[in-house]
Amino acid sequence: MSGHGGAPAIRVQGLGHTYPGHSAPALRDVSFDVGRGEVVAVLGPSGAGKTTLFRCLTQLIASEQGLVELAGRRLGELRGRELSLARRDIGLIFQQFNLVRRLTAEQNVLAGRLGHVPTWRVVLRRFEKSDRALAQACLARVGLSDQASQRADRLSGGQQQRVAIARVLAQQSAVVLADEPVSSLDPASATDVLDTLRGVARERDITVLSSLHQVELATRFADRIVGLRDGRVVVDAPASDFDAADYASIFGRPGQLANVPPGQATPA
Amino acid sequence: MDADAGARAPRPRWARIGGRIALVATLLGVYAVSIRLADVDLGALLEGLPRMADWAGRAVPPETAQLGLLLLRAAETAAIALVGTTLAAVLALVTCTLAARNLTPSAFVRLPTRWLLNTLRGIDSFVFAILFVAAVGLGPFAGVLGVALHTWGSMAKLFAETIEDVPAGPLDAVRLTGASRTKLVSYALVPDVLPGLSSIGLYMLEFNVRTSTVLGIVGAGGIGLELKNSLDLLNFPRLLTVIIIILLMVTAVDQLSSRLRRRLG
Repeated sequence: MSGHGGAPAIRVQGLGHTYPGHSAPALRDVSFDVGRGEVVAVLGPSGAGKTTLFRCLTQLIASEQGLVELAGRRLGELRGRELSLARRDIGLIFQQFNLVRRLTAEQNVLAGRLGHVPTWRVVLRRFEKSDRALAQACLARVGLSDQASQRADRLSGGQQQRVAIARVLAQQSAVVLADEPVSSLDPASATDVLDTLRGVARERDITVLSSLHQVELATRFADRIVGLRDGRVVVDAPASDFDAADYASIFGRPGQLANVPPGQATPA
Repeated sequence: MDADAGARAPRPRWARIGGRIALVATLLGVYAVSIRLADVDLGALLEGLPRMADWAGRAVPPETAQLGLLLLRAAETAAIALVGTTLAAVLALVTCTLAARNLTPSAFVRLPTRWLLNTLRGIDSFVFAILFVAAVGLGPFAGVLGVALHTWGSMAKLFAETIEDVPAGPLDAVRLTGASRTKLVSYALVPDVLPGLSSIGLYMLEFNVRTSTVLGIVGAGGIGLELKNSLDLLNFPRLLTVIIIILLMVTAVDQLSSRLRRRLG
């Protein structure tokens, strides 16, 4: 493992992908780096290629052009067990939370340990004390200790996404990829979930790459914003510098920004 | 993505009406041929009715002389269904993971598995029982094997469909934590599908108790043997007792099973 200033945690270079039967590529020559401990938002309208980018990053689809490196490893060159082992170190957060409905919150967090625990323990649900203590600590960190034995499908959306964050923490991965983590949540839960995610990333030096489609959430959450439009990177800037011109180049129309003086950007 | 599917031009009015007329004509033709092939003869039914009424009259009161033996045969029937269904459930659990699209290791495993299951499902328990009577001899064991093989096919197919209905997201999420297939199935899949699979198992058991009542006709054990004997000897009071026992047993199992299944749902 490289320390600060070493290889970037995530490196994407010249990434391109075209779905079979489509003429327009979903991703074109996408390149950016994410440094270790950095929190980056991929911002773009729906159809800009955010989901394709995430699927390429996890090798759920194999990209035909370019390269992807996570924690110094090229996932595209790994197969079978090696790929499983590499994925173990990447935490994933999904739009639909993807908890196992009939398991409790705590059991869902323990799922983050499956890559490390022997098979017989998983089959018999006999986790070691240290794993259970870890799971409880992770649930406590996201403020859900009191819901530990609640079934996942009985929790609210915001609570489910916080359980998913706890699952990633239990997985102890240094890199977390989040694909539209708050787009099925109400605004209050969305802010709450993103604050939690940012908080744990800061505390544990976790690298986070998250796609978002709301500018306000992205600028509040991220250190840096990578803007995608039609599969191309059109913006790569610190969140604090994000301005109306950046907005227009991502969304193709002028938008209203909190930190932009009125008059400079007018809503369509 | 599906823009071209939705944009298909509507067919003209005459084509739709013509299509409907052709459909109705075809259906009428199929029924006409089927009624002919099935030898449907209302006259024969009318002629037979008095004979059946006469049998019904002679059947009352039901005979209770061999009640102990008949109850034993009924228990044998239930046992065939229980053992056969359980055996089928074990085989189905193993094979359904190969047949389910979202869990199979590869299409080269899934398709042959599907073919096998469809074949098993396509051959009735009764037909299997005839074969097994020839192979392992008369008696309930032939019935168990017949029920088990047919049910294996049906059950594994239903199991696989239940598994295919499980949302992909949570499975992907767990798979991507680096969990192996065994871990994935036991930790993320089983808790999700267990109620559904249990419900299918109970339903198949219920179904097999009904199936097993006739297996005795081909010598594969159970109360069907007594049904056939009584009919062959024209012993209608005994036949009535057999029918009452079958009805009571089937009703009791149906009730029990549907109550259990409601609790699972």
